[in-house]
Amino acid sequence: MGLNRRDFFKYVTVAGAAVAGSGQSAQAWQSRAPSDPVGSLVDLTRCIGCRKCEEACNRVNDLPAPDQSFEDYTVLNRKRRPDERAYTVINRYTSGMIDERDQLVPTFVKLQCMHCQDPACVSACIAAALTKKENGTVHYDVTKCIGCRYCMVACPFEIPAYEYHNPITPKVMKCTFCYERVQSQNKLPGCAEICPVEAITFGRRSDLLKVAHDRIKSNPGRYVDHVYGEREVGGTSWMYLSAVPFEKLGFNTLPEQPIPRLSETIQHSLFSYMWSPIVLFGMIGGVMWASKDKSDRVENGKKGGAS
Amino acid sequence: MIRTGPVIIGFMMFALVGFCWCGPALAAADVTAPKPSVEKVVWTAPDQEAAKKRAAQVVPFVEAVMDECRLCRQQRLRDMGLNVKDQTESYYLLNSPIIRKTEDHYGPVRFMHAKHAGVTKDCALCHHYRPVDDTAMETTRCSACHQKPFQKDHPERLGLKAAYHQQCMGCHKEMNNGPIDCAGCHRKNVPDHKDKINLAANPEPSQVTSECLRCHKPAGEDMLKSAHWLWKGPSPYTLKHRKEVELGKATIATNNF
Repeated sequence: MGLNRRDFFKYVTVAGAAVAGSGQSAQAWQSRAPSDPVGSLVDLTRCIGCRKCEEACNRVNDLPAPDQSFEDYTVLNRKRRPDERAYTVINRYTSGMIDERDQLVPTFVKLQCMHCQDPACVSACIAAALTKKENGTVHYDVTKCIGCRYCMVACPFEIPAYEYHNPITPKVMKCTFCYERVQSQNKLPGCAEICPVEAITFGRRSDLLKVAHDRIKSNPGRYVDHVYGEREVGGTSWMYLSAVPFEKLGFNTLPEQPIPRLSETIQHSLFSYMWSPIVLFGMIGGVMWASKDKSDRVENGKKGGAS
Repeated sequence: MIRTGPVIIGFMMFALVGFCWCGPALAAADVTAPKPSVEKVVWTAPDQEAAKKRAAQVVPFVEAVMDECRLCRQQRLRDMGLNVKDQTESYYLLNSPIIRKTEDHYGPVRFMHAKHAGVTKDCALCHHYRPVDDTAMETTRCSACHQKPFQKDHPERLGLKAAYHQQCMGCHKEMNNGPIDCAGCHRKNVPDHKDKINLAANPEPSQVTSECLRCHKPAGEDMLKSAHWLWKGPSPYTLKHRKEVELGKATIATNNF
């Protein structure tokens, strides 16, 4: 006797209840963010768009020479993204405001990996090539990378780039937060060191948050009351202060929940105790059993007639 | 051939000036001319040596400064009778080892202290705080308070480099007077081109141009957009070219590649 319609719905209902039940009973998601990471605070009101950070980044990371010189400011006429040849880029935005010299007041925005506290790329990486280091760096280990590029899909800031031009030994390319320089050589990240106006302040994330809020508080007319990266996707190591609302500067409006929270909760509750494969294969088995019975019957009935 | 000489030199100058416009004399002298004695004509200001010595000093770090508003400070300086006439040095070379430790991209800024003081007539504009220490001078150097960036104990104290840049550029912008670009204050450290140029003993003019273009490719591309290259009209006022209708490097120059 096969699976009739009534039984089928019965099983599906039981399975559905199991899904809902296990979702609640699964362990609550835990953040694995380091407690005292380093970070950088980018004050966009200070940035003068000199592109020295791009130049320093290129030098300290031994990246290939750019197509246009770092002193060529015409590149600012178009919007760029960090790519496999540049870990960081500066973009220029104008709000239409004009200064005393009748020039459009520009706001320069530095883009690089934000080094999230709970990085979606680390969560998505199936080979543990991307890891969140204790000092806050989201670190990439090329020897473990299998080139699946899930990190590129996962990143809410669309940062990781891939060396598509290199078919044999391609790498995922993104800002390293100068991990070696900071950890072993006790130096500053290349960009923070070279910045002529300290638009980039490097330090402990907790200190930087204090600095950021102090700056807003002591000069409320200069800044919008928002530290981008304080809460976005659960907090990032790179944070921004700005005079212009962030959404006008190409910043994505992101939820305060860490991205891996949802994906990992779904993933972990789906596979806890292997219940979902068991249910799935049980159901497939049931359907196969039922339909086999039916087709046998059909075949029996049409015997001799069909072929 | 006779005519191409100046053209080549002109183009080289153009290419190099376009690129190293902060040190054209140096760069061009290295490459084009057979070394006109650069060293001999160097003139140094009489106070240059003293300024160099001052620039090399690192003064003790000032931990705390007196917290007073700009107006209070201006008034206090006025009350003390301190003004522009009291300055001891008129010229500073901004070349502190604090910055040199990490940077070597630009030459030091030559800062005319007296001129800036004379124009602004306000010491407190730059000397915005005084050390809490009573024995310290009323106005101290920038580098007394601003040294290494990102010090944990002084999170809002700018490093020396940023303090200079923010102060100078900020004020120049505000006053709408004075340079706000890199080369306006700094001479760029142009690398010595002697080792970079790879030419045979008696190169053809076109070889020289192509050697320049090997590194300075955009300079060549810029040239192609310039009137030098694109000019096609008559040139009635140029000697020997009065009757020629077509001019411009694109049409008549020998090495117009």
